[in-house]
Amino acid sequence: MELETKEVSVTLSRKEIVKQASLQVRDNAFVGLLGPNGSGKTTLLKSIYRVLKPSGGVIRIDGADIRTMSHRETAKRMGVVSQFNALSFDFTVEEMVLMGRAPHKRAFDRDTEEDYRIAEDALRRVDMLDFRDRSFQTLSGGEKQRIILARALAQQVEMLILDEPTNHLDIKYQIQIMDVVKSMGVGVLAALHDLNLTLMYCTYVYVLKDGRIIAHGPTEEVITEQLIRDVYEVDCAVARHPVSGKLSVTFFSTL
Amino acid sequence: MKKRLNPRHAMLGGAILVFIAAFILSILIAVTIGAVKVSLSDVYRIVLYQLTHIRIGEEKFLTSGTMYEIVWNLRMPRVLMGALIGVLLSTCGVVMQATVQNPLADPYILGISSGASLGATFSIMIGASAVFTGALATMGTAFWAFFGALGAMALVMLLAHMGGGRLTSAKLVLAGCVVGSLCGAFTNMMVYVGKDAENMKTVTYWLLGSMVSARWPRLLLPGIVTAVGLLFFLTQLRTLNTLLLGDEAAITLGVDLSKRRRIYMILTSLLSAIAVCTCGIVGFVGLMIPHIVRGFAGSDHRFLLPLAALSGGIFLVWADVVARILIPNTEIPLGVITSAIGAPIFVYMMVRRSYGFGGKD
Repeated sequence: MELETKEVSVTLSRKEIVKQASLQVRDNAFVGLLGPNGSGKTTLLKSIYRVLKPSGGVIRIDGADIRTMSHRETAKRMGVVSQFNALSFDFTVEEMVLMGRAPHKRAFDRDTEEDYRIAEDALRRVDMLDFRDRSFQTLSGGEKQRIILARALAQQVEMLILDEPTNHLDIKYQIQIMDVVKSMGVGVLAALHDLNLTLMYCTYVYVLKDGRIIAHGPTEEVITEQLIRDVYEVDCAVARHPVSGKLSVTFFSTL
Repeated sequence: MKKRLNPRHAMLGGAILVFIAAFILSILIAVTIGAVKVSLSDVYRIVLYQLTHIRIGEEKFLTSGTMYEIVWNLRMPRVLMGALIGVLLSTCGVVMQATVQNPLADPYILGISSGASLGATFSIMIGASAVFTGALATMGTAFWAFFGALGAMALVMLLAHMGGGRLTSAKLVLAGCVVGSLCGAFTNMMVYVGKDAENMKTVTYWLLGSMVSARWPRLLLPGIVTAVGLLFFLTQLRTLNTLLLGDEAAITLGVDLSKRRRIYMILTSLLSAIAVCTCGIVGFVGLMIPHIVRGFAGSDHRFLLPLAALSGGIFLVWADVVARILIPNTEIPLGVITSAIGAPIFVYMMVRRSYGFGGKD
């Protein structure tokens, strides 16, 4: 599946947060969305997964305007893992993951063996199978995040939208989540704040500043000392790591 | 790999069957209880004859006379009304709590009860004929209660939509509070300036709910409405589950949130308005029953909704029995009973169980 935003603007309380952002995620590409806090990453993503309505521009999935699609239709193709928001009512872990099957279900459909198999599989992939009868509320932040990812896996989508999915996670689970996502082999658009994680996983990045996309291209070409200074206002060194052979960023203190 | 026969699901499925049995049994037992002593065999002979035309004893006794009147024309409709309203209110409570994602929601949250109170108080204290002429002047208290409920609901929806943006649960709850206190102010003023003590008693009585007026013809509307409403919501169980996950998750799981929320709101409001204009404001049922059932059945609506509906019916049937017989020759308002029984159960749950009432710890 191919996702495209064309000159999308989003206005919240009369303030234009995203300004004519155009981006593209090709089939199975792992694309990063960078930018400092308040640059409009989350807002742009929310307009893509239809929680916010753009004030201008158009968002297309395989060439078709998403406004012409039902929410069910987009939910079958596009899954979302965002910064976790709290729940008022409790479910078991298994119930939670099974809800990923919702877009595939009609009013009177029951959960089939197939659904259970998919949910079990998803839980195994995020290493949470032993937790399936636990109450979701009692899990730690990182565990919850992995369950939400499992739910998106159970949704069996062609594209994942991730909004800082590794926030508050131990490094082990940051890597686990990113590995699971990468191994799915689907298109990914991920807002990330960790530049090294971005360098590890993303093949292409867009950089947002003040709501505008100011740079985009293959990750290693875009992430430069100059760009980081311009966008994040910090000094750093970008160099090839002697062991991994990958580019990595080292930040300098201002003291 | 196969679908596990989830022991919890099996248990809850069994619980639904048990509750259906208890529901029917409650109705059958409640008919035998009342201020006037009617022997068990007389009661069941009359009920049996009316339902199936199987005649045991004299036909004259089974179709006329005081016993027949009491059992078939007073008690039976009253018990059935209790069951219906209980089902209606707790179903609405479950749906409301999911729709506004707020554990404090109950069927009256959208200003329904305050609007209905205002309408009823107006009708009783001032009287429609004092203000209107024509058809409106002849309408009874029930009509004005219904009218008030719908008016309040419309106002709440309007307020919640003002300023644009999506219909959020916070806006709905706040608008409900605003309209509630506005209606309350007018109601209180009418009661305050009203001089007729008898009218005042009628208002109070009405505001606390009662099944006294239940007769066969009056069962028709709530009966149809309850059946249709319940059937509709039984097709929405999956969507209701998704709504509990929050706005964003619901949308990303394919629910057209604004549309669903509007449909559920309008429907539950209409249903509660029907309940209110049939038997006044029976408090606590719509708030408490969903929580109590959620306490043992969990949040999954596939079990929660049917269990809560049945529990609501059972609860109100028995609450009405207590209202009829607790003090000889005196009817206690139903709302007093539901709160008096409900509050301790609620407290017990808060103290004993780990159930968090939808709190975020």
